[in-house]
Amino acid sequence: MGLTLNHFLVLGALLFCIGLYGALAKRNAIAVLMGIEIMLNAVNITMVGFSFFNHVKPYSTFLTGQIFAIFIITVAAAEAAVALAMIIAIYRRRSTVDVGEIDMMKW
Amino acid sequence: MALYEYSWLILLAPLFAFAVIVFGTRIWDLLSRPRVTAATTHEEAHAVEEHGADGETHAEHDSDVELIEETGPHGERLILENDEDPKVPQLTTGAKVSGYVAIGIMGLACLYSWVILLVSANVPPRQPVDIHLGAISYTWLQQSTASYIIGFHLDNLAIAMMVVVTTVSLLVQFYSQGYMENSAGYARFFAYLSLFAFSMLMIVFAENFLVIFIGWELVGLSSYLLIGFWINKKAKPAEDRLSPASAAIEAFITNRVGDVGFIIGIMILFVNTGTFNFADLAGPASNPLSVAHNFANNQTLLTIAMILVFCGAIGKSAQVPLQVWLPPAMEGPTPVSALIHAATMVAAGVYMVARTFPLFAAAGPAAFGVVAWIGGITALFAATIGLVQSDFKRVLAFSTISQLGYMFVGLGIASPLYGPPFYGPGLGMFHLFTHAFFKALLFLGAGSVLHALHHAMHREVQDMRLMGGLAKYMPVTAITWLIATLSISGFPFFAGFFSKDTIISLAFERNYGLWAITLLTAGFTAFYMLRAYILAFGGKGGAYGGLWGGTYRGTGEPHESPITITLPLILLAIASIFAGYWTPFFSYIQPGAPNLDIPKILIDVFTTPVGALSVIVALAGFVWAYILYTRFELANINAFVQNNPVLRVLHRIVLNKFYVDEFYDLLIRYVVLGISHIEQAFDTYVVDGLVNGTARLVLTMGRDLRHVETGRVQTYMAAIFGGVVVLIALVFVLVNFVK
Repeated sequence: MGLTLNHFLVLGALLFCIGLYGALAKRNAIAVLMGIEIMLNAVNITMVGFSFFNHVKPYSTFLTGQIFAIFIITVAAAEAAVALAMIIAIYRRRSTVDVGEIDMMKW
Repeated sequence: MALYEYSWLILLAPLFAFAVIVFGTRIWDLLSRPRVTAATTHEEAHAVEEHGADGETHAEHDSDVELIEETGPHGERLILENDEDPKVPQLTTGAKVSGYVAIGIMGLACLYSWVILLVSANVPPRQPVDIHLGAISYTWLQQSTASYIIGFHLDNLAIAMMVVVTTVSLLVQFYSQGYMENSAGYARFFAYLSLFAFSMLMIVFAENFLVIFIGWELVGLSSYLLIGFWINKKAKPAEDRLSPASAAIEAFITNRVGDVGFIIGIMILFVNTGTFNFADLAGPASNPLSVAHNFANNQTLLTIAMILVFCGAIGKSAQVPLQVWLPPAMEGPTPVSALIHAATMVAAGVYMVARTFPLFAAAGPAAFGVVAWIGGITALFAATIGLVQSDFKRVLAFSTISQLGYMFVGLGIASPLYGPPFYGPGLGMFHLFTHAFFKALLFLGAGSVLHALHHAMHREVQDMRLMGGLAKYMPVTAITWLIATLSISGFPFFAGFFSKDTIISLAFERNYGLWAITLLTAGFTAFYMLRAYILAFGGKGGAYGGLWGGTYRGTGEPHESPITITLPLILLAIASIFAGYWTPFFSYIQPGAPNLDIPKILIDVFTTPVGALSVIVALAGFVWAYILYTRFELANINAFVQNNPVLRVLHRIVLNKFYVDEFYDLLIRYVVLGISHIEQAFDTYVVDGLVNGTARLVLTMGRDLRHVETGRVQTYMAAIFGGVVVLIALVFVLVNFVK
């Protein structure tokens, strides 16, 4: 009994739920950012898993899932840089990184 | 024939004159005036107002109303407001040229129309003219099978009417040179007169209901502009006179009431036949567009449609029950009254019925019955009121309403359903033809009197109790007015006698009720016309038994009017005598109709009781009026009536026009306005409620739901993922459980 697609999917789903919980429940903006990163990686695992276990010719030779994952990693890096820059800017102005208090753009 | 084909020039001539005045001479007139520097003191401002060549620019007038004290006819002191429009010391060249342009162009049109009339009536082969004027006709709109054509055509009926319109318009415009000599807005007046003539000619030349309706509304517009010409004049409640502005509005709105029926009638005809064209509508049953073809199984609907069309004529020709607008329309300048009463406005209704005569004939007998009886009732009703009026112009207003009633009787009893002789629209049109001349003469003569009295008393006087004995001051006016009086009263050998006597004698053959009414009206007409003549021009102590001169009850010294005023009077007096001697008129209008047999009519007066009676009744009216007003003082007659309880009540009822105006006032105040209030409430609470309610609902929802926007990122994220979960659940349910 080796690794099957189900293992990847369960792992991806678990990681996604953990990330979602972190993004929704944490008050600290950096923790929310971390939750988002976890969700992105959960998706990466799912895609790589799908790609790896695909045996249908000719799609199995295209490595679509892996390439997608690499793109997501790249975008995630850029996203993390921008988001952290924003958090620092907000901290300098408001002296807080509590997402519950950053609610100026309401009704 | 080229002569006829270019007759559209007559139609466009007054419009051209209007355009030249409005876009040319009037602008030149305004530009060429000396510029007035800004006035500083009140005196200077007033001087500018009084002497500026045109009064339309002057502003507040209330502050400097002049008060004139005078002694009234019964010794009471009258305080009169001088609220007239400003007078100009002399007209500018531009204003005069505007008048010359209008008169010159109308003169050419009049000349051309007389040539057409004489050629079509006298030059062989004397075929009835029936020409489509293709030069100015065009298809305005084409919708599948229905075409809306602006079409004009010329036939004998149009020629006869065209001559009346251009002749009376020309004489009225010529006369206006003298009458309006120092009036502000002189050029504007001539522009309106030209527009009025054009509107009427459009009705005359109309080939279909569409064009006649456009002309119809244009006539309404021009009459509105002209009745309200003296916009600054105020109402005179003591004399029971409205302000010209209110009178203009009343005329316009009353006509709207009739026009509702008119347009519904036209629509019924159009929807059922698919054409507006008179010739097609009146065609034989083989023509698929004719009423005979389309209403063969539904004559009742055609009868209703024609009665509705007649509603338009009731409004325009001031018949009962829409006669109320005509007496107040006297507030316009007197030349306008002459034009409205003789040729342009009220004649439109008669002409329209004459034009649609075959359609009325195709409808049931009720259609012509309504025409004849409305006419008969109006004739008697208005003549009764005319008996007691003391306002010079108002007597003439009621006489017009009464004579229009005669014309409708003439049209109604000529219905071919009664059998021969088939006069067609000839009877009514003949009376319209003769009436146009003597009524224009009566009004222009009245204008001459008012003009002279205005110069003598320095204020507007229309009350006959302030006149009397004017014949020795203004002989030309008096003698021409006497001719018109004899003509309208049906005195033998005058034009009115032939046209009126033909109607009365045909009424005797058709219906005794109508005959009695027309006969009685003839007597009343003779009475009040001679009464008006004696009150104005004669009186106790005058020459010829009181017919010429007498005591003058006004102040100052009146003088005969200038030649511009008297010349039209003389020309119209000639026409008032000789218009009745056009004996082939009936066969000219309606081929096959019998000619006017003048010797037979004159012999009938002495040989048959019916012929004699019509003259005897008119003479009785004359004698009665003569005895009353030349043998007794006016004050004594008045005292006698006031002391007799029956006469006093009768006099008051008739003097107040049978309280019709008051009845309409109550009707409008309580019924029409009541319905309006209900409609207003519906509009306010239901229509506006729906609109405002929708807005308020959106507003409330927005105000309450905006709290969803918390501004916190995590709330939005939760909402997005919650939404995704709901969607997934939905897809799952749909895929697995809904087959």
